[in-house]
Amino acid sequence: MDTLLDLGFLATWLAAAVRLTGPLLLAALGELFSERSGVLNVGIEGIILLGALAAYVTAIQTGSPVLGIGSAAVIGLASAAFLAWMYVITQASQVVVGLIFNVFAMGAASYAFRMALGDVPRVELAPMFEPVSIPLLRDIPVIGSALFEQSLLLYATLALAALGGYVLYRTRFGLNLRAVGEYPRAAAAAGIDVVRMRIICVLISGLGAGLAGAYFVLVQIGLFRDTIVQGRGFIALGIVILARWNPYLAIAAALGFAAMDALPLSLQLFDTGIPSQALVALPYLLTILAVSGVFGRSRNPAALMQPYSANR
Amino acid sequence: MRVRIEQRSEPLTSWWASAALIGVALILGMALAGLLFIPFGASPIEGYSILISNAFLSLRGFGFTLVAATPLMFVAFGTIVAWRCGFMFLGFEGCLLIGAMGAAMVALAAVDGAVLAHFPPLILIALALIWGAVLGAIWSGIVGELKVRLDGNEILIALMMNFLAIYLIQYLVVGPWRVDGDLPQTIRFRRDMWLPYILPGTRLHAGILIALAVGAVLIVLLNRTRAGFEMLAAGLNETAAKYGGINAAVRRRQAACLAGALAGLGGAVVVLGVHHRLLDGLSDGTGFLGIVAALLGRMSILGSAIASILYGGLSIGGDAMQRQTGLPSSIVVVVQATIVLFLLAFEFLRTHRVVVAAPKASSTSTKDV
Repeated sequence: MDTLLDLGFLATWLAAAVRLTGPLLLAALGELFSERSGVLNVGIEGIILLGALAAYVTAIQTGSPVLGIGSAAVIGLASAAFLAWMYVITQASQVVVGLIFNVFAMGAASYAFRMALGDVPRVELAPMFEPVSIPLLRDIPVIGSALFEQSLLLYATLALAALGGYVLYRTRFGLNLRAVGEYPRAAAAAGIDVVRMRIICVLISGLGAGLAGAYFVLVQIGLFRDTIVQGRGFIALGIVILARWNPYLAIAAALGFAAMDALPLSLQLFDTGIPSQALVALPYLLTILAVSGVFGRSRNPAALMQPYSANR
Repeated sequence: MRVRIEQRSEPLTSWWASAALIGVALILGMALAGLLFIPFGASPIEGYSILISNAFLSLRGFGFTLVAATPLMFVAFGTIVAWRCGFMFLGFEGCLLIGAMGAAMVALAAVDGAVLAHFPPLILIALALIWGAVLGAIWSGIVGELKVRLDGNEILIALMMNFLAIYLIQYLVVGPWRVDGDLPQTIRFRRDMWLPYILPGTRLHAGILIALAVGAVLIVLLNRTRAGFEMLAAGLNETAAKYGGINAAVRRRQAACLAGALAGLGGAVVVLGVHHRLLDGLSDGTGFLGIVAALLGRMSILGSAIASILYGGLSIGGDAMQRQTGLPSSIVVVVQATIVLFLLAFEFLRTHRVVVAAPKASSTSTKDV
C-alpha cells in the first residue's frame, strides 16, 4: 500500500514537473541566444508578465488561445525591440535597463489589465490548450501521463529546444552568433554585423519570454494576476547558467527547476510538517546554488554584458 | 535632410549638461506616461495636478511623502555605496525585509515579561535599529562573499535572496510570530518603541532624520576618508586600484555589507515608524524603486535624496489619486520607470551627437541635443 502511494505521488509530481517545464524552457532558450551573442537580458521577467497579460486578454476577448499566443509573441517582440535599442544601440548598462524595464512592466501590466477588463478583478478563465493524450503510451505507469498526456505546446517547446541546439551548433548563423558573443571585434573583422546579430538575438529572447508568459496563462493557470511570474524570469536566467549556455542541457535544467517548483503542490496532499514557504522557496534556493559555483564552474560567453561599438 | 549619429571627441561632463539631461528626461517621461491618463477620461494636466497637490502641496500630504521617501533614501544610499564600489547589488528588497525582521525581533523581545522588557525605550529603539542593520549587512554580506570568493553571479544570487526573504517573513507572520486574528502579522509593538512623530498634524516620524544623518555621514565617508576613496577607486578600475595598493576584494566586501546595513536600517525604520508590527507584503518593490531613485540622482547622495522625495511623493500622490478619482495608481509606476529609462537613453548623448544635415551640403547645421 505504501509503495502504491509513493508511486502515485511520483506520478503526479513528475506530471506537474513536466507541465511546469514548458514556460521555463521557452524563456531560458530565448535568453540563451541573447546571452550567447553577448547581451544579458534581465528584462525577460517583465516580458513574461506582459506576454501573459496579452495572452489572457486576447484569449478572453476573442475566445481563441491561438490568437492569445500570437499577441503574446507580438508583445514579446515589441518589448525586445525597445530593449535591444537600449542594450545595443545606446549601450546603457544591460542590468540596469533590464531591471528598470521590469519595474515598468509591473506598472504597465497592472494599468493595461484595468483598462482592458475594468475595475473588478475578474476570475474568468481564459480558453486554454487542452492536453493531448497519446493512447497506449499514456498508460505506462508513473511516466505515462507525465510524458504522453501534455499540451501540444510542450512538445513544440521541446522541438524548439532541439532546433535551437541545431541552429547554435550546426549552422553558419549559430557559428557567427557564438563568435559575436565571444570576441565581437574579431567577428566584425570577419565580416559579421555585430550590432545586427545582437539585435536579432535580443528579439529571440523577447519572443521566448513572451511565449513563456502565454504558456503560463493558456496551459497552466488560465488566469492573470500581476503576481504570476514571481521571479521565474530570473530562474530562467539561472537555468541558462546551469545549462552552460547549451540548449540541449537547458531541457534537463528546466526540468530540474520545474520539479522543485512542482513539489509544494504535489506534497499538498501529505502532512509533511514542513512549512509550505520552505517548499515554495526551493527553486530560488536551487538557483542560488546553481549560480554560485556549487555545481562546478561554468564559463560565460566572453563578451557577455560588454557593449560593442564599431569605431573604437 | 539626413540625421546622422557621430561620436563626440570629448564626452559631455559639465554639471549643466547633467542637469539638462535630467530635466529633459523628467519632462519627456512625464509627458509620455501622462498619455495614460487619457483613456480614463482625465487630461495629463489634471492627473498630474491631482498627484502633485496630494503629495507636495498640503502639510499632511508632504508628511506622507517624506515617510515614503525614507526607505527609498536608505536603499538609494545603499545602491550608491555598492554600485560605485563595483558591486552590482540588487538585493535591497531582501535586506529591507531582513532589517524589518531584526527590528521586530527586538520589539517582540521587549513585550511584558520577555527578556528585554526592563530596558529603557531609547536603548530598545537603538538596539532594534542596530540589529536590523546588522542582519541586513549579513544578508548582503552572503552575496558579497559568494561573489568575491566563488566568483558567483551576484545579480542572480541577490535577486533570488529577495524571494527567500519574502518567504521567510511570510513564514514568520503566518507561523510562529502570528498574532491571534485574521491577518498574518505580529502583535503591535509597545507604544514607546515607535519612532516619535516629529511634525504635528502629520504621520512624519523620526526616520527621515536618521536617513538624512546617514546621508551626511556617507558624504563624508565617501569623499573625505581613506576607506571611501579606496571603495570608489576599486569600483572605477579594479586593476589600477590593486597596483595602487588597494585590497579591492576587502573593500568590495565592506561595501556589500555597508549597503546591506543601510537597507536593513531602512527596513527597521519602516516597521518602527510606520507599521509598528511585522507583516506580509511589507516591502513591495521599495528595494527596486530605491535603485531607480539612485539612478535618477545620478549616483550622488544629495541627488538621490532629492530623487527619493520626488519618487516617494509620486507614489503617495498616486495612491491618493486612485482613492479620490479612481484613476489607476499604476500610472505612477510607469512614470517612475519611464523617466529613468529616458535618462539612460540620454546617456548616449554624452558621448555622441545627433547631426542633422541637409543632403549634399558638406557641413551645414550641426545641432547638439
